[in-house]
Amino acid sequence: MAAERLLKVENLTLVLKTREGEIVPVREVSFTLGKGETVGLVGESGSGKTLTGLSLLGLFPPGARIAGGKILFDGEDLLTLPESRLQTLRGQKVSMVFQEPQSALNPVLTVETQMREIYQSHTSLSREEIGQRILDGLRAAGLPDPLTVSRSYPHQLSGGMRQRVMIAMALALDPLLVIADEPTTALDPTVALQILALLARIRQRSGQSLLFISHDLSHVRRVSDRVLLMYAGRIVEEAPSARFFSHGPRHPYGRALLASRPEGGIRTRREAPLSAIGGQVPPLWDLPPGCSFAPRCSRADSLCTSTLPSWNGGEGERVFCHHPDDSPLGAPVHAA
Amino acid sequence: MPPEVPPFLIRAEGLSREFELPGGGIFSRKRRLEAVSEVSFSIGRQEVLGLVGESGSGKTTIGRMVMRLLPPTRGRILLDGVDLTSLSGRALRAQRRRFQMVFQDPYASLNPRMRVREIVEEPLVVHGIDPDAGSRRDRVARLLERVGLSSRDMERFPREFSGGGRQRIGIARAIACGPELLVADEPIASLDLSMGAQIINLFSSLVDSEAMSLLFISHDIPMVRYLSDRVAVLYRGKIVESGPAEAVLDDPQHPYTRLLAEGRLPESDGASSPGAEGEPSGLCAFLPRCDRALPECRLSPPPRLSRGEVREVLCHLPKGESSWSPVHLTTQGSPSHVPATPSR
Repeated sequence: MAAERLLKVENLTLVLKTREGEIVPVREVSFTLGKGETVGLVGESGSGKTLTGLSLLGLFPPGARIAGGKILFDGEDLLTLPESRLQTLRGQKVSMVFQEPQSALNPVLTVETQMREIYQSHTSLSREEIGQRILDGLRAAGLPDPLTVSRSYPHQLSGGMRQRVMIAMALALDPLLVIADEPTTALDPTVALQILALLARIRQRSGQSLLFISHDLSHVRRVSDRVLLMYAGRIVEEAPSARFFSHGPRHPYGRALLASRPEGGIRTRREAPLSAIGGQVPPLWDLPPGCSFAPRCSRADSLCTSTLPSWNGGEGERVFCHHPDDSPLGAPVHAA
Repeated sequence: MPPEVPPFLIRAEGLSREFELPGGGIFSRKRRLEAVSEVSFSIGRQEVLGLVGESGSGKTTIGRMVMRLLPPTRGRILLDGVDLTSLSGRALRAQRRRFQMVFQDPYASLNPRMRVREIVEEPLVVHGIDPDAGSRRDRVARLLERVGLSSRDMERFPREFSGGGRQRIGIARAIACGPELLVADEPIASLDLSMGAQIINLFSSLVDSEAMSLLFISHDIPMVRYLSDRVAVLYRGKIVESGPAEAVLDDPQHPYTRLLAEGRLPESDGASSPGAEGEPSGLCAFLPRCDRALPECRLSPPPRLSRGEVREVLCHLPKGESSWSPVHLTTQGSPSHVPATPSR
């Protein structure tokens, strides 16, 4: 945490109009990101992790309203900037890698045309210089034949190659922060590992900060310095990655998530059933009073079902829980 | 497991499937792709066979052939000795209630306009089980409770459920007729973590207490290891390794299985060069990605080797070790199957 701070999100709260009424998909979210740091943002669908990531680009879904908070990025509050300034920042200082490169890339333009557009709208490089940057960028993203790739249309590339193109595009202008939203989810397991290795190397070499959004705990473990755990719109735990995965999360939800995977000790069904979390994530328009996780939590008592928890611990290592679990994990989580 | 080796419930012999590729003109020969090539396996009663591989490996094609949703180009599928591939019409329909499928995407595989009760009772009506509406209703209620839903859910629509709830509806439909075999193609890939564990536990209890067998198709290696008794690893349409799940995944022999099982970040972060299309020589399809290739890998197709009657591998590497010996070919010319259920 000695790293210089790049990003500070303070009490970010988003309100969204839906058919079921107004919901709060992101509630009082606060965290920081150091220069060169990789933070994993973990949560299940509907936890608010994607909306949190998009808000760092100043992107909000239709019907969304910022109900409070600040996003201080490299000295500027993104929430007060005019759209023209945000457009300059996007790509130049913050960029995003999406889960489905297939839908994020334009199917009727070649890779080269799409990458050229980035340079043309943000730099004054010459045609030749841009061509060279494109090839260098594709090569740096681990594509062995950048010339062929640059002349290809997205559908001519495999899923892993498309994701590499997305990464090359996200890095084109050498941004300070890259947000990767489930970048490995749609990929085959061996290809996903290659992409993780690529992200790890890019970060080592260029010192970019990375916000790695994923529901795959084993992938988060491999790349992150710190972990942010989200549940029903809130961050409920923040911990150094080593502590979260080795000693174990302090929030019962984090514990339960780890235990619901067979990497964590129980390895075949003849040993025991997986300790699945009962019930399901509450709908955001019908959150229970008190802690949102209480109805599914084995440690919950009357305090939890009636009163909202408060933060326990300090910046960098804290948990939003009345009864955090400080015992070490029963068995070490399988590290590959 | 009982001490005696149970007879196989289902057995696939030399299963192959070709697809015609688009393109090819009037005068040029149509290009064909062999998506599944000479695949043999069997599943015992109350046994879980995990079928792993990446997209394009042919695992979904195999599942669809086992379900008789897609005819094989060559090979047979025997259910309790009955050759499913030779059946059609009424005879096939009579067998269909014995094998059922659970799909990956519970959103796409449930009719959004049907109520849960109608979805689950449809197979009962089709197969003429429980013609009496009242007792059929009771049966649907029991099925819903069996999969962790409630009889109160009967009149609801699929959209009112989460992904996990929808997958439960799909499972209730699949087990409605009391099948002996379930084929589940990536059943938890689109579910949240906490839901995935619940669904895996449900499959586990169906195998143990309802005496079902399961073909579990997945790329989630730790889950395959958890749920499966045996695994078969597919690469480009061929089974490259098979055997007891723990043995194969803890001590992989094929370099591809090793890559999957160890799940290590690769040394090089570059894209692996795509393999030669069509591998005309019949050489190992994994060769372009293999970091342990021997000189003979470039000269001759990999042999199918077995060890201790329970493990098989399609690879040159273990050939020098005395514990591995070539698999004898059966009369059909397809590799004989690993005929074992591991003792526990």
